[in-house]
Amino acid sequence: MIRTGSDSDLVLKPDVCIVGSGPGGAMVAARLARAGAKVVVLEEGGYHRKDEFDMQEATAFPLLYQDRGNRATADLSISVLQGRAVGGGTVVNWTTSYRTPDDVLGYWRDHFGLALTPPDLRPHFEEVEQRLGIQKVDLEDTNANNRAIYDGCTKMGWQVDTTKRNVRGCLRTGYCGMGCPVDAKQTATLTYLPDAVAAGADVYANCRVSRIEWSGRRATAAIGHLLYNEIETGRHVRVEPRALVVSGGALNSPALLLRSGIAGGGVGKYTWLHPVVAMGAFYKDRIEGFYGAPQSVASHHFAHRPEGAGFFIEAAPVHPMLSSIAMPGFGAPLQTRMGLLPNVCATIALMIDGFDPSEKGGTVSLRPDGGPRLDYPFTDRAYECFRAGMKAIARLHLANGAREIVSFHGTPLHITSESEVAAIDSAPLGPNLFAAFTAHQMGGCRMGADPARSVVSPQLRHHDFDNLFVVDGSVFPTSLGVNPMESIYGLASWASEHVRAAIS
Amino acid sequence: MSESRRGLLKKTLGGAALLVAAGAVPVALRRTKLRQPPKGRPLQFFSPAEYSIWAAVADRVLAREATAATMEGDGAAQAALRGERRPAAPSPSEIDVAGKADAFLAPLPESDAKDLKQLLALFDNALFSFVTGGPARPFTQMDAAEQDAHLKSWQTSRLAIRRTGFQAMKRLCCALYFSDPLTYASVGYPGPPVELVKSVLESHR
Repeated sequence: MIRTGSDSDLVLKPDVCIVGSGPGGAMVAARLARAGAKVVVLEEGGYHRKDEFDMQEATAFPLLYQDRGNRATADLSISVLQGRAVGGGTVVNWTTSYRTPDDVLGYWRDHFGLALTPPDLRPHFEEVEQRLGIQKVDLEDTNANNRAIYDGCTKMGWQVDTTKRNVRGCLRTGYCGMGCPVDAKQTATLTYLPDAVAAGADVYANCRVSRIEWSGRRATAAIGHLLYNEIETGRHVRVEPRALVVSGGALNSPALLLRSGIAGGGVGKYTWLHPVVAMGAFYKDRIEGFYGAPQSVASHHFAHRPEGAGFFIEAAPVHPMLSSIAMPGFGAPLQTRMGLLPNVCATIALMIDGFDPSEKGGTVSLRPDGGPRLDYPFTDRAYECFRAGMKAIARLHLANGAREIVSFHGTPLHITSESEVAAIDSAPLGPNLFAAFTAHQMGGCRMGADPARSVVSPQLRHHDFDNLFVVDGSVFPTSLGVNPMESIYGLASWASEHVRAAIS
Repeated sequence: MSESRRGLLKKTLGGAALLVAAGAVPVALRRTKLRQPPKGRPLQFFSPAEYSIWAAVADRVLAREATAATMEGDGAAQAALRGERRPAAPSPSEIDVAGKADAFLAPLPESDAKDLKQLLALFDNALFSFVTGGPARPFTQMDAAEQDAHLKSWQTSRLAIRRTGFQAMKRLCCALYFSDPLTYASVGYPGPPVELVKSVLESHR
C-alpha cells in the first residue's frame, strides 16, 4: 500500500528498495513486484490525489514541485521545474510522450559503448504506451496557443506535428502542470505504482533518504527520516535491501550518491537540461493559453543544425504566476504585458544539449544542507542556439500574423516585422540577462561502458557495486531532443530485468 | 526564495568587498524607512526593516505607473490594451506581498536566510547606492523614479551577483502577487474551470 507516515521507526529488509517514485522508480517497482520480489519504495514527496488539485498555482507549486517551485541553478539564471511527489514528475508534467529517438540511441552506442537498440526498447515502449494510454493528439483538439505554433511553422514550411499524450478521458482543462483534477493524466501514481502495490509492494511517502550505507562492493542500507509537513518527525528509516535502486531524478540522485561518499565516474557531471528560451507572441484575438491541453504541438525542424546545437519548439501554458516570472521587466511594462495574458502565445525553444564534445553541461554538487546545488554555465554554443531559437519563434509568429513578439531579455525586444528579427543577434545574453528555464533534467549519473567516464554500466548497475542501480533520467549520457518521460519509463522497464538478476 | 540560492553574496570577490563596504556605512545613512506590517500576524522571517524593504520593492516591481527607468517603447500589442475595460490591478499591499513573502521564506535554511538578509541590507544601503551611481539614500527613502532606477541598475548590472539579487526579489514578488486570485481579473484570466471539473467529478460518482 501507499503509506504517508508511521508511528515508529521504519526498519525493513526487502528484496529491493527503490528511492524515488517517478517514472523510473515506479516502473522498476511494478516490474519487480510482479516478478515476486518484496519491494519497498521510499519517496520524499507527499502522496497527493485529485481532490487536492485545485488548479491554483499558489497551491500546486509549493505542494508538487522541488523547493516549493523555486528550484533554480545556484545563480538563479535557470529556473528549474521539477516534480516532487509520489509519482514524481509525472504528476506535474505536460503529458508529452516520445520514444527515445533512434539517432540518440545510435549516438550513445558510438560514444558511450551502450548496446541499446530501437528493437531492444520497442516492446517496452509499446507496453508503456498501452498502459499510459499514449495517443497522438488530433489537430482539432489543440488549443489556440499550440495551433498558432502549428500554423506558423506550416506557413514557414517547417516540420511540425501534434504530439502524443498520456491521457484517458482528458477534459483539456489546461492544468496538467498543477496535478490533473480529474485523473485523466495517466501518472505513475495512477498506473505503475498501483500495479506495484497490487503485487505486494509498499510505497512510503514523506520519506527522505539522506544517504546510502555501503561496504565493499555492496550497498547495505538506505538511511533516512520520515517527514511531516516537510519537517523531520524524529522517526528514522533504515532499509536493508538485497538490491538498492536510486530513482530520485537527475538532480536528487547524484546528490544522494555524493552524500553517501559515492563520487566515482563523475557523479553530478554532465547534467543536461534542454535549456529553454521563451518568447511571448501577442495576437489581436484571444489565445487563452491557460486553457486546453498545454502542449500538443512540436516542431523538430531545427533538431539537427550544422551551425550549432539543435533545438525544438513547443508551447507552454499561460497561467499568471509562471508567466509573470518569465515575462521581462518590472513595474508598469510588466503589468501591461500581464494585462494582455489572454492574447499571448507562449512559445519555447529547447536546446538539445550534450551532443558536442566541447559541452560539459551542468554540475550537481552539494549545498551546505546536503541538497543538490546545480550550476550550468552558459557557453557560446548555448547562446548561438538560444538566439537561433528566438529568431525561429519570432519568424513563425510573424508568419502567422502576430501583432508583436516580445523577447524575454531583461530589456525586451519588441518585434513587429522581419527587419527587427536581426536585433536578437545583438541583444545581450548572460546569466540573468534573459529568462531561461528547464523542465527536463537529465544526466549526472551517466551510463556507459567505461567506468572512468560513467557512473553506471550499460545495464544501469553502478560500476563499483554489485547491488546498486540508478534508474531514472540521470543515466542519460546526453539530452534526448524530445520530452523525456516515456524514455525513462521504457529504459526502466528494460533495466528491470538487470535489477531482478541481481537478486536472483 | 530557493533553497539552492546559497552563497548569494559570497561567490565573488566583488560580492565580498561590497559586503564589507556595506558594513562600514554609518548607521545614520543606513536607516530604513519603516512600514507597519498588518496587525495580528507577527513576522516570522523578516525583521521590521527587512519587511519594509521587501514591501517597498514589491511596490515598484508591481507598479502600475511607469517612470523614466521603466518606460518602454509603446509596442503594438500594448496598444491593443487601450480601450479594454478591466478591473484595476490591486496594489501589492492589498495582496500583502511582503507578508506572504515573510511566510514563504520562514522555512528557508539558515545559510540561505542569512544570504537573503544580507542582500536586502545591501539593497537598502545608502552608501552602496551612492558608489554605484544612485542617490545617497536607502532604497526605502527614495522616490518612485529613483527606486525604479535603482532596481534597473541591479537588473542590468555588470556584477552578476546584483542581477541574481534582482531576480530573487522580482520572481518572488511576482509569484506571490500573480498567484493570488484577487489579481486574476486585472490580467484577464477567468480562473480555473472549477464548475466544469466539479460537474465531471460528480457525474463519475
